[in-house]
Amino acid sequence: MIYFQGCTARKKLKNISKSTQKLLDQADVEYTVLDDEECCGSVLLRTGFTRDAQESMAKTYDKLKGERVVVSCAGCYRTFREDYPQMVGEVDVVHISQLLEELISEVKLQLKKEEVKVTYHDPCHLGRHLREYDAPRRVLEMKGDLVEMDKNREESRCCGSGGGVKSAYPELSESMAEHRADDAIRTGADVLVTCCPFCVLNLDSVGKIRVLDLTEFLLRRDES
Amino acid sequence: MKKSHISVMNRSFQVLDQRRRKLLKDHETLKLKERVQGIRAYSMDHLEELLEEAARNLEENGVEVIMAGNGEEARGAILDQLEGEVLVAKSKSNTAGEILLSEHLEEEGVEVLETDLGDRIVQMHRESRPSHPIGPAAHLDLEMISRIVSDYLDKEVDCEPRSILEAVKEDILMELPNIRVGITGANSVAASDGALLMVHNEGNISMISLLDVHIILVGIDKVVSTLEDAVSVVKLETIYATGKKTPAYMNVVSSPSKTADIEQELLKDMYGARRVVVVFLDNGRRELLQEGAESLWCIGCGSCIVNCPVYSVTGPEFGYRRHLGGRGVVMSRYIEDEATCTDSGLFKCTLCGNCTRECPLEIPTSQIMELLRRECVEEGLHIQEHRVILDNIKKRGSAYRD
Repeated sequence: MIYFQGCTARKKLKNISKSTQKLLDQADVEYTVLDDEECCGSVLLRTGFTRDAQESMAKTYDKLKGERVVVSCAGCYRTFREDYPQMVGEVDVVHISQLLEELISEVKLQLKKEEVKVTYHDPCHLGRHLREYDAPRRVLEMKGDLVEMDKNREESRCCGSGGGVKSAYPELSESMAEHRADDAIRTGADVLVTCCPFCVLNLDSVGKIRVLDLTEFLLRRDES
Repeated sequence: MKKSHISVMNRSFQVLDQRRRKLLKDHETLKLKERVQGIRAYSMDHLEELLEEAARNLEENGVEVIMAGNGEEARGAILDQLEGEVLVAKSKSNTAGEILLSEHLEEEGVEVLETDLGDRIVQMHRESRPSHPIGPAAHLDLEMISRIVSDYLDKEVDCEPRSILEAVKEDILMELPNIRVGITGANSVAASDGALLMVHNEGNISMISLLDVHIILVGIDKVVSTLEDAVSVVKLETIYATGKKTPAYMNVVSSPSKTADIEQELLKDMYGARRVVVVFLDNGRRELLQEGAESLWCIGCGSCIVNCPVYSVTGPEFGYRRHLGGRGVVMSRYIEDEATCTDSGLFKCTLCGNCTRECPLEIPTSQIMELLRRECVEEGLHIQEHRVILDNIKKRGSAYRD
């Protein structure tokens, strides 16, 4: 299996990549990380650079075809699932939340429940776009007490970073992240967990509540 | 939009959202939604024939029909119908907002009296723009409104809803006897009946449709097969826009005022309008339809902006004139051009897709946005920061610089 980190976990929030690998190691998953991993093409597709995206995707496809791939990023996940088959070819991809659920049910990964109140933010690409709402929640509940925000699952409010908005209009992204962080604070949760590094980056940037990736949350005790 | 206006707007939207919540999940609503999806899809598949049928039947009923290719033609046609009047009464119309009708009439020396309370308040407040298609003053709170109305009427109006209503009503009713021409929109047009359906809560359309000349400006996309279909459309619109099952009023206009009470002889011009004139507006709609964009399924409920993350931080800057939010951005590409589309906020959308989930017609706006971005980028209308990301990816294989 290949662990495809995605740009944000590979370059910006490296702890997400580290945590993911730590969990995969704990569960004895055999995996490799590409030395020459490049962008999946998602951001180019969403910002209108379709032809450049196609080039980029073709390169990555050559490295991934025939392999099972696990991703950290909800954006990578949607691109591999929906855009690759149409533009370059099928990729056998699973999101980290789904793999973790699998590993837990096969008792390859064991978690200890703690007394911590946690709320979960559905990344748009994973939730509304691909309807994966349950896997991350089931994993979360193995570790902490899940409290839902008023707008959750398909009604989830976007964190504000997607579609190239964070780079083009950073102040808009930040204001949107504030709205979502306020939603989280209203639940009384100690931590806001999501499973898209780009959502983590944006939600964390407003500094209103502790924000963690799902993998970081599962290793919380180890970190402290 | 000012921060204070945005937070008032979001508060209003939250109240609306709560009010709608149960009704939107109601079995009858879901059935109606499915029916209306069928009605609107049929209409867009058969637009030309329905439009022809509508025009034929309206004319047969005694309504004058004008086809306008663009805003300028529509404005010219409307101006021609005013019979020299310099003051007209108007109800809320997003289509009029689309072609800046009031602004142009005023440039031509014709004063426009908005009769919808929210619209009238926004009209009194030059610096603000309508923030919701049905509740245009959603961004103003009680205190702001009382100040705006007091300043405009040049008298102290209490900071209390009833007093504000009374003051605005009194002012409008004082003007109304001097007005001979009323301009409204229509929420739906029934082709086989040659009839127009208008929805309102305040009773203002009932009043101004009885003026001597009633001019109706309506997009060609509003046409449906029958009056029954039209009623279904406006019922669903009302549910999504206001959280109520039915509006206070639904006016059907299919003819000037008439009677046949004396020996079955048809006499015109009893209480209502002596002339009814319909101006059908294309303004890019046909082109949009040819592109296959589903944006014309829209029934104008405004549900798409209520939970739009972008709209909740920008207000009406995200959108085009009175076509608010992402769907408005799409419309602007066809009403105007690609540059207007990018200026309206093509690249402000996070593509989260919540508007589609909120929309009773499930218009896939974020997908259309992606296609339009591709088109605009090919025309060189990309965002500079995105170009930097592209360069980073080409040089370093990552969206980030380091």
